[in-house]
Order: sequence, then C-alpha cells, then structure tokens
Amino acid sequence: MYAVEEKNDVFTEELKLNLGPQHPSTHGVLRVELKMDGEIITASRCDIGYLHRCAEKIGENVTYLQFTPYTDRMDYLASMNNNLAWSLAVEKLIDVEAPERAQWIRVIVAELNRIASHLIAFGTYGIDIGANTPFFYAFRERESIMALLERPSGARMLYNYIRPGGVGHDVDDQWLADVLAFCDEFERRWKEYNTLLTNSHIFIKRTANIGVIPKDVALAYGCTGPVLRGSGVKWDLRRDVPYLKPYDELEFDVPVGEGTHGSLGDCWDRYWVRMREMMESIRIIRQACPRVPDGPFMDKKTSGMYKTPLKPKPGEAYVRCENPRGELGFYVVSEGGTSPIRCRTRAPSFCNLAVLDVLLPGTMIADGVAIIGSLDIVLGEVDR
Amino acid sequence: MNEQELHGKLSGAGVAGLGELDTTGPDPFVVVEGSGIRPVLSFLRDDPTCRMEMLHLVTGIEREDRIEVAYHVSSLEHHHSLTLKVVFPRPEAGGHDDWRPGVPSVADIYPAADWHEREQWDLLGIEFEGHPDMRRILLPDEWIGHPLRKDYSYPSEHGGIPLELDAVPMYERGPDWEREEKVRKAKKEERKAGTPLRQPPAPGSDRPHAGGQAPASSKGQRHVIEPHSGDDDDGKSGAH
Amino acid sequence: MGILNHALPNIGPVKAVDTAIGWGRKSSIWPMTFGIACCAIEMMAVYAATFDLDRFGAGVPRATPRQSDLIIVPGTVNAKMAVRVKRLYDQMAEPRYVIAMGACVCGGGPYVKWGYNTVKGVHKIIPVDIFVPGCPPRPEALMDGILKLRDQVGRDAVFARREQAGKEMDGRYAAAS
Repeated sequence: MYAVEEKNDVFTEELKLNLGPQHPSTHGVLRVELKMDGEIITASRCDIGYLHRCAEKIGENVTYLQFTPYTDRMDYLASMNNNLAWSLAVEKLIDVEAPERAQWIRVIVAELNRIASHLIAFGTYGIDIGANTPFFYAFRERESIMALLERPSGARMLYNYIRPGGVGHDVDDQWLADVLAFCDEFERRWKEYNTLLTNSHIFIKRTANIGVIPKDVALAYGCTGPVLRGSGVKWDLRRDVPYLKPYDELEFDVPVGEGTHGSLGDCWDRYWVRMREMMESIRIIRQACPRVPDGPFMDKKTSGMYKTPLKPKPGEAYVRCENPRGELGFYVVSEGGTSPIRCRTRAPSFCNLAVLDVLLPGTMIADGVAIIGSLDIVLGEVDR
Repeated sequence: MNEQELHGKLSGAGVAGLGELDTTGPDPFVVVEGSGIRPVLSFLRDDPTCRMEMLHLVTGIEREDRIEVAYHVSSLEHHHSLTLKVVFPRPEAGGHDDWRPGVPSVADIYPAADWHEREQWDLLGIEFEGHPDMRRILLPDEWIGHPLRKDYSYPSEHGGIPLELDAVPMYERGPDWEREEKVRKAKKEERKAGTPLRQPPAPGSDRPHAGGQAPASSKGQRHVIEPHSGDDDDGKSGAH
Repeated sequence: MGILNHALPNIGPVKAVDTAIGWGRKSSIWPMTFGIACCAIEMMAVYAATFDLDRFGAGVPRATPRQSDLIIVPGTVNAKMAVRVKRLYDQMAEPRYVIAMGACVCGGGPYVKWGYNTVKGVHKIIPVDIFVPGCPPRPEALMDGILKLRDQVGRDAVFARREQAGKEMDGRYAAAS
C-alpha cells in the first residue's frame, strides 16, 4: 500500500478515469471506473456485461445436445473443459457414465486445452507488463496444440468435441504418439519461458508484492483456481473431488503459491502457479496417453441423441469441474422436457473478477493493469 | 458429512425456518423459509463441523407455479456441500413480469453473493432485501424487463440500437426512417395474415424504450416476438 | 488533399498519382487493438508468429482509434457494446475501413434467435467493407479478408472522380437522408 504524502505546495485533485471497454490490457471488454488521486487508485467499480450473449436464455430453449456448442463460447480459451463440465452435468441428470476410453480421451484433451489456455495467460500477461516477446513464443506452442486438437474434433478453437455420454469422435494411436512427442517438445520450450519472463528482474519488480489477495478474502469472494491456489490454499477439484475416474489413478501435484518473491498471494505467485500447472498437465498427459484403453467412445444410451433429443427425468444436478480459471459449475434443472428449464453457469472468472474491487484501491494505476492481468479473466465467461 | 447428516445437524441446532430434505433428484436439497436463509447460512459458515466457507451460486429458477432461489455452499476443509432452496409460490392474480419476490440478501455473510444476487435481480427480477448495491449488472441500467422470465417479450431495439434480424442499418436511416419502418412492418403483417407474431405499437408510444422501469400496463408498447410460435415466413430468424 | 478529393478528371496523370497513394495506403493498414470475444483470439493468432500479418504491412495494431485505419470487429456486439463500437468508429479518421469478423458480427450467428441482447450483425451499427464468416473464422480466412481489403484500398480513387459504383453509393445515401 502506498501512503499519500501531502505537501503544502502540491495539490492533486480527484480524477475519475474510465478504463475500457476498449483497452488493450483489460482482456476483452471489461470496463472499470476508477477514482484516482494522482497515480493512486482510491476507489474502483467494475462494469461488466459488454459481452452478455444470453447463454442462459438460449439454454432454456435448445436441447441438451444443442447447448454444447454454446458452452464452447463461454470460456473460449478452454472449450474442452467447458464441454466436459456440461457433459458431466447432463450425464448426471440422465444417469449415464461415459465409457472408459472416452474418459481417458477427455482427460488428455482437457489437459491439452488447459496448457493452451495458460499459454494465452502467460503471453498476454507479458504484454500487459510491457514484454512483447513472450506473446510470440506462447502462440507458437499454442498453434501446435490447436493442430493436435483439430485432428479429432475438426475445429481450431471451439471444438464441441466432448458430448454427453462420451466424445464426438475417436482418436487413433498416431495421435496419441504425436501428443507424447509434443510433451517432450513443450518441456524444452517451458524452460525458455522461464528465462524469458519468469526470472526477469523487471517482471519480478512489476509483479511481486502487487495485488496481494489474503486467503480469507479469496475464500469469501469465492475465488477458485490459480487465484485461490496462489493465495496458498491447496484446493484442486481434480484431486479433491475427482469428477473423472482417471484423475483418481493419476499422479500429479497441486502447485500453490509460496510467496517466493514477496508476500503470499501476489501477482507473481498466481503467475507461477499457472506456469507450474502447465508442467503438471504435461505430467498427466504423459501418464494418460499409454493407458487409453480400447473400447467404445460413446455410451450406447446417448448415441441416439442426435436423432431423438435426450429427455432426463425431473430433477436437478450441479456439477463442478476444474477449469484453467477455476471451478466451473453447471446447475441444470430439468422438468422432463427436451430442454432444461434453468441452465445456470457458475463461471470462475465471474467470481474471480468480483475480488478486483477490493484489490484495486490503494494501488498505482500501472499496478492495476498487472492485477487485472494476473486474475486471467475471460469476459465471455464473466458475461455469458 | 453427507446431506442427511448436515440436515440433521441443522435441525439439531434448532435454526429457525428449516424445512425438509428433498432427495428425489440426483442432487438433494434442503427447503428453507425466506426468513430463515440468513441464520441457516450463518450457522453453516461458522459451525466448526460444517465450515461451509464457499458460496458457489445463487440461482433463481422460475417454474410454472413457483419461483425458487437456490444456494450452493460447500466446504473446502470437510469436502462436503449442500444446496438450500427458498420457494415462493406464484400468487393467484398477477404473478407475471411485475411480480418480484423478495428474499433477504446474504451479501454480508458471503461477499461472493454480491454479484450473484445482482445478476439474479437483473435477469430474473428477484429482489434481495438489504443488498448494498442493487443495480443491474449485465444488462444496461435502462433495460426494461427481466429476460429470463418465461413470459419475457423480446425488444426490437434498445436506445436506438436495432436488435432485430431484419432491422434497417442505422447509417442508412434517413430522418423519416421510423415511418418507413412502420410501412415495412405493416406490409410484413399483411403477408403473414393469420399468424400475428408482432403486435402493433400502442398509440402514443413514440419512444418505447425511454429510461426507467416500465409500468406493468405498458407491456403492449413493445413489439412482441414469440420465439416458440414458429419461424418467420421468410425464414430469416429461423437461421438458428 | 481535402478539397481536391474526387474533384479532378479521371485522366492518366491523376490516375497514376491515385495509384501511388493507393499503394502506400494499402501497404500500411494499421488495425486497431480491439477484441470482443472468441474471434479476438484468432485475430491475435493472426498477429502472432505463425501467421504473421506483418507480411502484408498490417501487423502494427494501434491502441487508439485516432491512429488506426482499420477496425476489425471480432466478436458478438450486444446492445451495451454497440454504443461503444459506434463511438470508436466515429473517432477514426478517414479513410477508415471495417472488417466484420465472425458469424455473430456478420449476421447474428448462433445468438440470432434467442439473443434478446445481441445486435444481429455489426452492419446494423456501422458500414462494413469486408465480411469474414466463420465461427470463429480460421486465421487464413481473416488474412484473406485483409488481402481483399488491400485490393479494395489500392483501387480507391483519391483525386479522380468516382466511378459509377461510387455514384450509386452516393445516391443511396442521398435517398436515405
């Protein structure tokens, strides 16, 4: 926190500053109204809704299968994970479990997409701080992942691949071998990132001790994912509430912030949690690829859903999954029809962003940009 | 603890307003009276054996005969979670767009509820009494109606921004574009003859989306599109 | 230039000068840093190393509308955002160009039917030069759109009188106003 020194001959007046919705470092169309005293933020108020696309209304009008592509477009950086959460919610309603082969494929594609998502966070965070080069490195590796995910799904970004009851298409052995080859390649590249940005003196100066979120504040505001783990809470749904069977059998660590360069829960901690999560994902993929069993990739009960829409029994299901940004939940309420009567999304970015109004007052405007970047929000998910 | 033990714990503590545990669906939930939601949530958060630190969701659900507000809470320490529900039966008369059920806000117990409650007010028109900052969060402040209500009528424009698929682009409008629009719409109505999808604007409604909340009687001012009652004859809005 | 715009006869020397100016304009299109939704990520991929938009002289995104010639609208525009998009467009200096990127911006896309809040195509708000369909369009598609825009920019007359197509355009605007 910065104290304002008042001198007799220098006066600063309160200034209202409007950040966004078109601003290079608000990661989309976030608008923040700031009250400034010189360079120091005294009050802030988030204004969201510039990308509100009526997803919940659409969910109440389309069938369960038809809503899968709309989940892609919520968190468009991690479409696979969104598909996964939606599919699990529908599966819980119709009481179906995906075949084992589908579950292992789901783990691999979800972890690949987690890496792709964290790469964007890494690249754009560099731009926010003032380092342009990491962006180009991050997108190079991201293109490799896009090429890998395009082969089974047919799309580069919004896959619509994981569907209720399984996955859309099967993968072949060559694909699994290529994924393993990518893992080796990525490990080498990951070391490059650390020399490029993580250990850069300027980067540490810009992010350490900035935007500290204490543990209790993070919990009270419902922060999840790297934001919560950066504050030192070891909570990962993959480990604590395994929503897919393979996560029980795989070995991986849950990286948490340690306050390496300053206080626990600062921007650098959140950034470093994301970087280490990429390597954990690589570890998971390496274990999972050889263990993908043979068998069907779609459950028999749901394979007819392309012709006759699913009709779950009346009831409701809340399913949560570990997205790259935190805990994604789908709360689906059915009354027996072909479409749900309520389809609510617990978007991790929405809850992570709520803490911003607490973080910003008292910091400098340049640090404010670093804080917004470290929360790694996706506005498509905040506004839905 | 599972849901039954948590429900037993709650009833054992004698928290007021606690209802029954419903286990018919895949996810069980506990019904709570509107006045009891604050004590129940405070108890769940503070009791050392419950320790529900995190509020996941506040959700409004509109059904035919009632509106429900659901709260999802869970504990990171004990790995258990619980769903609470407050139910508002639909009143006999009215009970449409102008019916706004009220429930006490829990934003001071769980700060996470702040934005969730604002969103439910914005999209479903549920009032949270005692909320510190009850404004719309996703839609513009001067928006009319609550879109997730089942009888919501879709607007044709908002503050001059056209929201229809076949609207005339703004930069092509002359000074008399409103008259042209009316003529065009009348022609379309004629073609449709028999399937009245849109109601003609009520007399004297030159600015249908002026600021502020519309009174209940002004519903006819908007052009009503019923998305369920078939596609347009030209098939444009059926592109979905 | 100013008052000389479209004022000179369409003869050889004027055409030559126009061609030279057009070549300069089309080789240094400066787009605006402006991302709305999913398509913005594909737009960023186009700026990045693999696709490298800088080959066509359009790889210097400017952060302010005052310095940019091209606004790529990448993602769904809703009622709240449409006011801002229009203001951004109004702030840009002539000559200015618009690329509508993605299905939502071209005509509503997946949000066309139940989207109570979305604008069904950004051409309802601002005039669009190039439409790039797709959800999201592949980077190659956006690059193709920019190449087509380059051709259009290079053909634009600066001093010479407008061709017939331009007159029709003027007539349409006159009829509307």
